[in-house]
Amino acid sequence: MNRAVAATTATVAGLFLMLALKPHQTPAAAAAPPAGSAPSGSPSGTPSAPEHDRTSGTFTGDTISTARGPVQVRVTLVKGRLTTIAVLKGEHDEGASAHAVPRLTQEALAAQSAKIDAVSGATFTSQGYISSLQSALDRAND
Amino acid sequence: MTEPGAVRHAEHAMGTVFSFDIRGAPTRAVTRALADAVAWLHRVDEVFSTYRPGSQISRLGRGELTEQQCDPEVAEVLELCRAAARSSDGWFSATPGGRLDPSAVVKGWAVERASQLLHDAGARHHSINGGGDIQTRGEAAPGQPWQIGVAHPLCPGDLTTVVTGRDLAVATSGTAERGPHILNPRTDRPATDLASITLVGRHLTEVDTLATAAFAMGDAAREWLRSLDGIEAFAVTADAQAWWTPGFAAYGWCPAGQ
Amino acid sequence: MTAVPHTRSGRYVPRHAPPPARRVPPEAVLVVVYGGAVAVLALWWRHTPSVVGLDGWLTGAGRITGLLAGYACAVLLALMARVPVLDRVVGTDRLARWHATGGRYTVFLALAHTALIIWGSSITARTNVFDQTTTLVFQYQDVLWGTIGLLLLVGVGVVSARAARRRMSYETWHYLHFCTYLAVFLAFFHQLSNGEDFVADRPARLAWYTLYLGVAALLLWNRFLTPVRRALRHRLRVAEVHPEAPGVVSVHLTGERLEELRAQPGQFFRWRFLAPGQWWTANPFSLSAPADPHHLRITVKEAGGHSRAVARLRPGTRVWAEGPYGAFTAARRSSSKVLLLGGGVGITPLRPLFETLPGEVTLVYFARRVEDLALRSELEDIAAVRGARVHYAIGEGAGNSLPLTADALCDLIPDLASHDVYLCGPPGMTEAAKSALRGAGVPRRRIHHESFAF
Repeated sequence: MNRAVAATTATVAGLFLMLALKPHQTPAAAAAPPAGSAPSGSPSGTPSAPEHDRTSGTFTGDTISTARGPVQVRVTLVKGRLTTIAVLKGEHDEGASAHAVPRLTQEALAAQSAKIDAVSGATFTSQGYISSLQSALDRAND
Repeated sequence: MTEPGAVRHAEHAMGTVFSFDIRGAPTRAVTRALADAVAWLHRVDEVFSTYRPGSQISRLGRGELTEQQCDPEVAEVLELCRAAARSSDGWFSATPGGRLDPSAVVKGWAVERASQLLHDAGARHHSINGGGDIQTRGEAAPGQPWQIGVAHPLCPGDLTTVVTGRDLAVATSGTAERGPHILNPRTDRPATDLASITLVGRHLTEVDTLATAAFAMGDAAREWLRSLDGIEAFAVTADAQAWWTPGFAAYGWCPAGQ
Repeated sequence: MTAVPHTRSGRYVPRHAPPPARRVPPEAVLVVVYGGAVAVLALWWRHTPSVVGLDGWLTGAGRITGLLAGYACAVLLALMARVPVLDRVVGTDRLARWHATGGRYTVFLALAHTALIIWGSSITARTNVFDQTTTLVFQYQDVLWGTIGLLLLVGVGVVSARAARRRMSYETWHYLHFCTYLAVFLAFFHQLSNGEDFVADRPARLAWYTLYLGVAALLLWNRFLTPVRRALRHRLRVAEVHPEAPGVVSVHLTGERLEELRAQPGQFFRWRFLAPGQWWTANPFSLSAPADPHHLRITVKEAGGHSRAVARLRPGTRVWAEGPYGAFTAARRSSSKVLLLGGGVGITPLRPLFETLPGEVTLVYFARRVEDLALRSELEDIAAVRGARVHYAIGEGAGNSLPLTADALCDLIPDLASHDVYLCGPPGMTEAAKSALRGAGVPRRRIHHESFAF
């Protein structure tokens, strides 16, 4: 039993130490993606945009995974409203006419304070509604 | 937690869910109009449901009734179908697979009519989402246009783009939840080029119908959509590529550059 | 002294004990394992520019524990892959102990990873943990499989706890434990599809694939292909079953090209007898005589259903032998004087060592009654031929003619402290013997003990 306690304590201490040794502010909004070492869009969420409605500017966000590989995304806000999203080339080079379908995860949207009012999608049944994004919006505002 | 002065209501009808979102403090007239709109949706369901053998549209389809014997709305919807078929060169069809089924027009048309009811009663800023097809009027808040997310057809739970605007109608046609239920009228087989296509315009009836036709057309819809006035589109193909009409960037997010 | 020893049946058996060589210490293997863990942590370090906010800390810790758990799973499987060099350097029983301890720690890591990721990501996504769990499990690629893998792993862990194991037969537990293969397989994919450290780093992905495919290859070769190859090549069969003492039988096996097995005195095999009802079990029994190109012998005490079934084996029954395993060999010794201490059926691996160990050898054999001394006449023959001493210690526990104390042992063997001691017997006896030996000044590194209690 003592060994279990010792191992657990050592693990927790080790984790704490490794995390504490890293810097605790986000790096400044970068124009170019750092080569291959950006955190991905799956749950890590280092939001790189400050959460303020009146913000304007360009921010480089998380690397998102698409069917054609990871791509990094730069978004432009005008007075808190997201206007353009630029897909920076990832590891794979596409032909000029092909674009990887953009993917906006809930984390990315939350991080950018995007305020979605409704969601359009292919027709869902009453059953399907329950797990849809629209129903989450309806519930959140009930 | 609702924004100050907004009314939300979700109503199950036609096998799906209609979400009402009325902004601004509701008056008695608006509350009554909401009840009327809900009743309207159920009435449409009774008349047009192809799942009810006793509905007028089913009986019409079996030849038990003629068009003149049906409610005037039936004639109106069928005329809209014929116009859509002409405009899309047959890609839109009211008889996919041989059965009379104007459902592709009915939902959007019903929502647009419901929206008109609310608007006439004084609800100038509202949004109605009928199973994924949305009619908005006015804006979400003073100075803030509506922001409509478009569901990602390949990654459930995520969005693929966001459409922003005032008095917008947004309709998405695709295979996502119910499987390939949209038939290619030329082959009577499910349409498979696209995972989904989203059309943006002013009137949901038109937008909904065109979205169905465009989806059935597949990649060929790109040229056709370019030629339509007042309609913009964003498509996701079955192999995870995206394309859009040139004017789409005015409404929605799209990858920059061409 | 170059007298030629021979077995009871008079066959010539050459001595082939290698001189005591500088062995690779088992700790070297641990160094390699921990080195790999450091490399895995370095991967996280490289991919993390900053740790921001409570959710950043939580998901950061979640990623570290996830990486370590994924690495640990591969290591655990490798430890049990029956790799010959690992078996020789570390020893079968120690490998099993490392695997068991490491297994418990890995389950802890996997659970910590799950909890940290759920909590951290639900903060980022501003939802509650239940909704976030649902999202992660059903909407993220391969996470559903990973979840099933986790549940299987935890289930196996629960079933392996001593309290549960006591209630089921060894076979049942053994086969349930194989679910870990499935658990590791299922969990592998979500690591690559969601692991941030792999998404944008091709060399890291390649390394991970290499690690897992390498372990899979080791498993396939050593646990599955090699036994089949051996069975086809050596065609082992039961030749004769011979009683040695009340409840103790020797099984003589014949086969071809058995010298290729390179079985050393002191080693054991896992024996699978292809007789009705015995196909499914592979029991470990030590060789009780030096191996011969055409003949092997094991000596088994009837202690349960399986060993009783062994006594009833019919000549001609085919046998699959997996091994040889065990580091309980002449190579372990560092002195030229050896004491062999055996209790009950623990005499079996000591008997071939007694015959073949060079130098000065003394054997002390503990048994309850005189009739229980198995292989006695062989031991006397060997003692006569090589001029070695055999001492029988008869009696039960404290009533034994030779108490297991430091003093008694030193009286018997005056320069005990400069001997190597090979110890094999029931747990109570070996524990007492170990403390007596330590008390008599025998250093720990010269006490060699193999236990079968895994």
